[in-house]
Amino acid sequence: MKFQRNVYIAGVGETRFGRHNVDFDVLGRSAALEALRASNINRPDMVQSAYVGNGTNGLVTGQTVLKNLGMCGKLPIINVESACSAGGMAVHLAVRDVAMGLAEVAIGIGCENHTLHMAQGTAFATAMSDIETVHGAVMTGKYAMRAQRYMYETGATAEDLAMITVKNRRHATNNPFAWFKGEISIEEVVNSRVVASPLTLQQCCGIADGAGAVVVCSEEMVKKLGIEKPIRVAGSVVRSGPYHNRPRDITGDDITEESAAQLYLESGIGPENVDIVELHDAFTIAELLYYECLGLCPKGDGLKFLRDGQATHGGKCVVSPRGGMLSYGHPIGASGAAQIAASVKQMRNQCPGYQVDPVPRVAMTHVTGGGLSGTEHAACTMHMLISNW
Amino acid sequence: MFDEKSQKKPEKKPEKKPDITFFHPDLLEVPADGGKPYLKGYRCTSCGQLDFPKLSPCPNCWGEEFEVVPLSRRGTLYSFSDNYIGQAGMKPPYSFGYIDLPENLRIFAQLEGGPKTFSCDEAVELTVGPVRDNRDGVPLISYKFRKVED
Repeated sequence: MKFQRNVYIAGVGETRFGRHNVDFDVLGRSAALEALRASNINRPDMVQSAYVGNGTNGLVTGQTVLKNLGMCGKLPIINVESACSAGGMAVHLAVRDVAMGLAEVAIGIGCENHTLHMAQGTAFATAMSDIETVHGAVMTGKYAMRAQRYMYETGATAEDLAMITVKNRRHATNNPFAWFKGEISIEEVVNSRVVASPLTLQQCCGIADGAGAVVVCSEEMVKKLGIEKPIRVAGSVVRSGPYHNRPRDITGDDITEESAAQLYLESGIGPENVDIVELHDAFTIAELLYYECLGLCPKGDGLKFLRDGQATHGGKCVVSPRGGMLSYGHPIGASGAAQIAASVKQMRNQCPGYQVDPVPRVAMTHVTGGGLSGTEHAACTMHMLISNW
Repeated sequence: MFDEKSQKKPEKKPEKKPDITFFHPDLLEVPADGGKPYLKGYRCTSCGQLDFPKLSPCPNCWGEEFEVVPLSRRGTLYSFSDNYIGQAGMKPPYSFGYIDLPENLRIFAQLEGGPKTFSCDEAVELTVGPVRDNRDGVPLISYKFRKVED
C-alpha cells in the first residue's frame, strides 16, 4: 500500500493474556480504553473509524466492544475476520484510513475469548467446508508436518526446536502481560507430552484469551493530541496466500516471503535494520522457519542464527522480546494487534524488566492466518514501525 | 393410578437416512467390479491444467469443461504427523500427511498404519476407509494412504 501521507501510532493497549472469565468484549474494551487514554483521547467522539478483529466469538463483535464506551452511533465500526491475522488486519485497515486521508484518528482492535467457548482437549481446525478439515486436519498437525520435514532435511533435533520455547519464555520472565513465562529447560520442553509429532505441548502456543488495541492518527493530530513519542508506521502489508494443489516447500512459507519482500520495499527498511520482531511463533518450528523467510538470516541458516544467540538480547535482532505467542498464548483475533502494542511499548522504553537495550528504533510484526487447503496460510499481515523523536 | 402408556418411552423416531457415508464421488472412484480405487484428477480442456480436487471453473483460465484423469495410486509421503490431540469429535491418535503424486499434485490424507510407523519420502499407496464419523455417527468413507506393501 502506498501511503498518501504519514501515519503515526498515538497510543496502544493490551490486556494480560491467559484464561479470562470475562468475554471478548470486556477484554477488547479494556485494551481499547487503555490505547485511547494513552493517546490523550478522553471522550467518545474523537475517533473517526474503528476496525475490530475477532476470529470465533460471533457477530457484530466490534459494536459489542465499543457500545459501552459511547462510541456506537459516532463512527463506522467494521468487523474483521481472517483467523489469526484478524487483529493485525484490523490495525492495517485503521492505518489505511489515515494514510488515505479518510480519517484523522482511527483505532484497530483485536480481541478474543477462546476458553469460555472452546471444548477442552481439542485442537483448532479450520472450516468444515475445507477438504483437509473433513479429513482430520488441525493446525497443530499442519505445523508439525513442517517440523517433521525440516528435521528430515536439515538434521535438526527436537532439542534444537525446544531452544525457541526456552528463549521466548526467558524473554517473557518479567512481562506482566505474558501467561507462560520464566525458566524452562530443554528437557522439560522435549519431554512434555506429544501433541502432534514431532511437536510437544511446550512447543505449542496456549489457547488463551486477550486483547490488544492501537490508535493511529495523522501528523497534525500527533501535535493536537500532544503525543510525545509518536511511532511512525513505515509500512503495513496484507496479502492472501497463493493457492495451488501442487508440491511446495513447507520448510519455507511463500506468503511470508512475499509479504516481507513487499514490506521491505514499501518501507525502505531492510531486515538488517530491524531491531526487534514479533512474529507468528504459534509453534517452535514457525519461528525457526520465519528467521529465514523474513531474511533475518540466509536461507538454511535459521538454526545457526538461533544457536549463535542472534535472536535474543545482544544479538542481531531480538525476536519475540515480549515472549511471543509461546509465552502469551494465542487468542487468534487478538494476537496481531497485541504484537504491535507490545512493540510500541518497547520502542517507548515502557517495558521494565523485559526492555530491550538499547531501546529499539525499528520494530517489525508478522501474523499469518488460517489453514486453508492449497495455501500455506490464507492471510499474512505485517507492519514496520519506526520511532521518530 | 397412572396411565402406563404415558410412562413408555416415546416411540422411536423413524430411522433417519444417514448423512453421507461416502465422502465425494467427484473425487474418489471405487469400481463396482472390485477394481482398485483411484482418485479422479480433472484436466481443463481449454488450458490443460490438472487439478485435484475438482475446481470449477478452472482457477487458471475459468474454463468449465474437464476431462477426468485417473491419478496414480502410488505417491511419496512428503511429510506427516501423528496427532494425539485431534479435532473435536475425532478419536486420537490419528495420522495424516501430504502425499506427492507423479502428476505433480499434493494430496492431504489420513494415513493408515498407526503412529510411529511413517517416515518422510517413503512410498505410499491409495486405500479406502473411514476417516471420521458423520453427523449421524456413521463412519464416513474416503481416500486414505498406507505404506506400499511389498
